[in-house]
Amino acid sequence: MTTARLEGVSKSFGRTRVLQPVTLDLHPGVVGLLGPNGAGKTTLLRLLASVLPPSSGRIEVAGQDVTGTHAERTEARRRIGYLPQEVVFPRGMTAFGFLDYVAVLKEWRDTAARHAEVRRVLGLVQLGEGATRRVARLSGGQRRRLAIAQALIGAPELLLLDEPTTGLDPEQRASLRGILSGLPGTVLISTHQTEDVSALCDRVVVLDRGAVRFDGSVPDLLATAAGRVYVGPEANVDAVTTWKTGTGRIHSVGGRPLPGAGPVPPSVEDAYLLLRGSSTDHQGARS
Amino acid sequence: MTTREWHVDGATWTAYAAGRLDPVAQAAVDAHVVSCPACRDGARAQVVSVEPLWEAVHTAIARPRLPRSLRVLRRLGAPEDDLVALAASDDLRLPWAVAVGSSLLCAMVAGLASAHQDAFFLVLAPLVPVLSLVAAYDATDPVRELAGATPYSKLRLALLRTTAALAFALPLTLTVGLVVPGLRPLALVWLLPALGLTGGALLLLTWLTAWTAGGVVALAWALVVVATERTGDVTVLTGPAAQAALAAVGVGCAALLVVRTTTLHTQGVPR
Repeated sequence: MTTARLEGVSKSFGRTRVLQPVTLDLHPGVVGLLGPNGAGKTTLLRLLASVLPPSSGRIEVAGQDVTGTHAERTEARRRIGYLPQEVVFPRGMTAFGFLDYVAVLKEWRDTAARHAEVRRVLGLVQLGEGATRRVARLSGGQRRRLAIAQALIGAPELLLLDEPTTGLDPEQRASLRGILSGLPGTVLISTHQTEDVSALCDRVVVLDRGAVRFDGSVPDLLATAAGRVYVGPEANVDAVTTWKTGTGRIHSVGGRPLPGAGPVPPSVEDAYLLLRGSSTDHQGARS
Repeated sequence: MTTREWHVDGATWTAYAAGRLDPVAQAAVDAHVVSCPACRDGARAQVVSVEPLWEAVHTAIARPRLPRSLRVLRRLGAPEDDLVALAASDDLRLPWAVAVGSSLLCAMVAGLASAHQDAFFLVLAPLVPVLSLVAAYDATDPVRELAGATPYSKLRLALLRTTAALAFALPLTLTVGLVVPGLRPLALVWLLPALGLTGGALLLLTWLTAWTAGGVVALAWALVVVATERTGDVTVLTGPAAQAALAAVGVGCAALLVVRTTTLHTQGVPR
């Protein structure tokens, strides 16, 4: 079952093309969207959320053409939960009040049902105790959880999360992973946190300079880096990146190993760095 | 009554949970439950049934209270969800005030200092509601990005917010028209142009962005006033014929807006 489909979707702002024509099908499960800053991840999410029209191509959500009629776009929006990268909260609102408002925007007209839904999502993100607190008085992590809670209202078929774990502590991140992994629909997470991808995602899409560089499962991504990551007394020659580990040995991603170095199982981060290193003249990442 | 001969029945539990038992009966239930496993199970069942009550209590505590003006509207039968949307527009008060205030200030300065005071006031005063509309729609909404991805009718949101903005803007504009010397004769005649322009902007909003719709309407109106002034007396716009025509434009736009929203509604777009 396809939840969302992009066919040759591109986006330009003026003369700057931020997204090359992209074709993607999204199915139920958790999909990680990786890429450096400016790769087009946020633009892709905004296009899917229908807050930004594409420059070309066609976007379908739950069978509705987001680029089609107003009615189709509205129907698509009924199936979407969206967490923007930055959420600006109205001043003076409480956590409950903010979610109540978003629930109204999501057409929860019956007051009792709406309040029950608000309490449900507050409980999901463990903010039940903070329901009456003003948003301005919540910590950064609590505000992020509140922003995530609004996206969960109505258990949407397509959940679009832009950097959801930014500002969350390890416990809260683990808790969020628990929530997201239990959702029945399709979750698309744009993130810089490769640990989140390896812990949570069935599928990874790597964007770079507006184009899809990789689209496959986490094991497939790891396979691209197999035998290319080493730990040794010295850095590999021409490594994409290296760093000194806590044991004093050098972790090298890519390049030719020197005597004494041994291969280690790659992480998603290693594979991602290798992919970036091979797809660009990525001098900045070399150490 | 001994613990062996008696068990707490449903009616007693209901009265106990509601606090309707007298102190002696309540103490008897307390003492009995301690020594009776069957009734302890019954007590647990009561706890389960009380859960929705706790939910309701928590919700009543957590739910923010609507401002007094909106509570009055609720008593008058306004839908609760519309009132929640309006209450969430508190952050827009400042942009509304800035839009309306700056427009009025321009009109006052022009009215006091310029030989073309009538034209200035006639250009600016009817645009106050349009400016309110633009500010109210999405130009300064902090949750614009979130709201954009929801199915709620943006036009409905605009209408709700415009109504709220006008409740503030209209009396203020009327007061300025009545108080500023020389503007008194014009104090009321801007209302019909304002109706026409706001209707036009709302109609255009079903196709265009708020800024574009507001800009098109403002430019068109400014051209009308300037052209009228150059051809002779701008006060012709305040005459009965022009006022009737502007009223007709307003009513026409309102009718077209109804037709347009009905068409969109039949296509599945929420009102």
